[in-house]
Amino acid sequence: MLEIENLHVTVGEAPILKGLSLAVPDGEVHALMGPNGAGKSTLSYALTGREGYEAAQGSVRLDGADLLAMAPEARAAHGLFLSFQYPLEIPGVPTMTFLKAALNAQRKARGEPEVAAGPFLQLVRAKAEQLRIAPDMLKRPLNVGFSGGEKKRMEILQMLVLEPRLAILDETDSGLDIDALRIVADGVNALRSPSRAMLVITHYQRLLDYIRPDRVHVLVDGRIVESGGADLALRLEGEGYDRYLRVA
Amino acid sequence: MSTALPNRRVEAWKYSDLAAALPGRTLPADTHGSVIERLAGGSAVVEAAPGAVETVLERFGEEGASLDARATTAIVHEGATLDRIVIQTGGDVRLSHWRVEVRAGGRFRQFIYAEGARLARLETDVVVAGAGAAVELRGAYLVAEGRHADLTSVVHHREAGGATHQLVKGVARAGGRGVFQGKILVAAHAQKTDARQNHHALLLEDGAEAFAKPELEIHADDVACAHGNTVGGLDDMALFYMRSRGLPDGEARALLVAAFLSEAVPESLAADVRDEILGRMHAWLEAGQ
Repeated sequence: MLEIENLHVTVGEAPILKGLSLAVPDGEVHALMGPNGAGKSTLSYALTGREGYEAAQGSVRLDGADLLAMAPEARAAHGLFLSFQYPLEIPGVPTMTFLKAALNAQRKARGEPEVAAGPFLQLVRAKAEQLRIAPDMLKRPLNVGFSGGEKKRMEILQMLVLEPRLAILDETDSGLDIDALRIVADGVNALRSPSRAMLVITHYQRLLDYIRPDRVHVLVDGRIVESGGADLALRLEGEGYDRYLRVA
Repeated sequence: MSTALPNRRVEAWKYSDLAAALPGRTLPADTHGSVIERLAGGSAVVEAAPGAVETVLERFGEEGASLDARATTAIVHEGATLDRIVIQTGGDVRLSHWRVEVRAGGRFRQFIYAEGARLARLETDVVVAGAGAAVELRGAYLVAEGRHADLTSVVHHREAGGATHQLVKGVARAGGRGVFQGKILVAAHAQKTDARQNHHALLLEDGAEAFAKPELEIHADDVACAHGNTVGGLDDMALFYMRSRGLPDGEARALLVAAFLSEAVPESLAADVRDEILGRMHAWLEAGQ
């Protein structure tokens, strides 16, 4: 379970998150929607521990543990996963090598044994097939020269292999055509579990046609201004964010 | 002939001040050739006979005298292949100068692995003296505190249809200094020459240094020449991305640097040599974690 309380984050000189509170219980998928500049990506970077996105105030707990006190790699070992809006290219490191190093580093941090090469290869191949990722792409350096849609599929592949306790998907729908969107959504839905929480950050309602959220939160100017059921996303699609912006 | 050692006011030695490294020392009088050849007191001779395939492996390490200067003259005859591998792992002052003549259809391939010394300079001069000769110059330098590695080369294309592919990659930590000086000269009648030169260095910490002087001098008009040179740091955002997937900072850095360097290590090396070099790279990277 993710619990964010009164989170304040200043980036450079600008206050971006201004007292954000949000809880995502295990087994639930929550959507975070909002206009550009509301602080959606800042939240994902603050949660994962990017330099320059430290909390000035407030707390973030994942299964009771203080996430903000941990290094990014410790947060990952604790079960946090962010699907990046703009996945990075890792030159010279084959996707398979990267994934194995990441999984084993997490397992080591948790005191679990490393996975053996054979079963690992089978696991990744099976998940890749599910996402319609060609096997030879796994031998290529991660994300180098991949299209926007391929990079997003690689993010989901990593998520399926790493099996996080909390998955944050930051604008995973951007850059995807409708077929890719469906494949990615199927991958995300396959990971739904009573022991896992998910936060889907999106600007548009489109992705939520495929990943149906239990709750929808509206983020405007660094705070949650409204929360509701899945129908809230539909209403936003029709009305836009104007009325919140006028109030803000 | 002057007997003073070159200092940094001498253009060819401006990043490797030999006079400062060897105070009080002079070049032997009445000797000829380059600085290193004069210090070496003569050149060894290596020849690859027509059509032959030869490999030379040289090691420069801690062992031996404080100053180790070696000079070699090599001839790669028609259709021959000469592979030269240098593994330089330490020492005080380590100097090498190879002059290579590559004749028609011959091939000279060089790979230098250098961890530097108090001052290490590995100099290579290649003359493409016959049509269709091929030159491959690769190098990887890894310099930690107190280490200096200088990879200097000149390739002179005197005949047509030759090719030079040069790729040097380097990493430096605080107090380490890497030097790349690479000149490719294409004479007016050396048409259809294909020359590519790339040097890329990563500065891993504040206080690391890399100096690069890439030069292409092209006098022919029908050639394909390209070069690239970069000196920079690791990509912070890529590091953060890797850490967010669970890789500790040191491991993420080592993975990125190893991938960066391994591109310069030829696939064509014998398996045991390649394993040794990759093993040394990993040991070097781990030592700094």
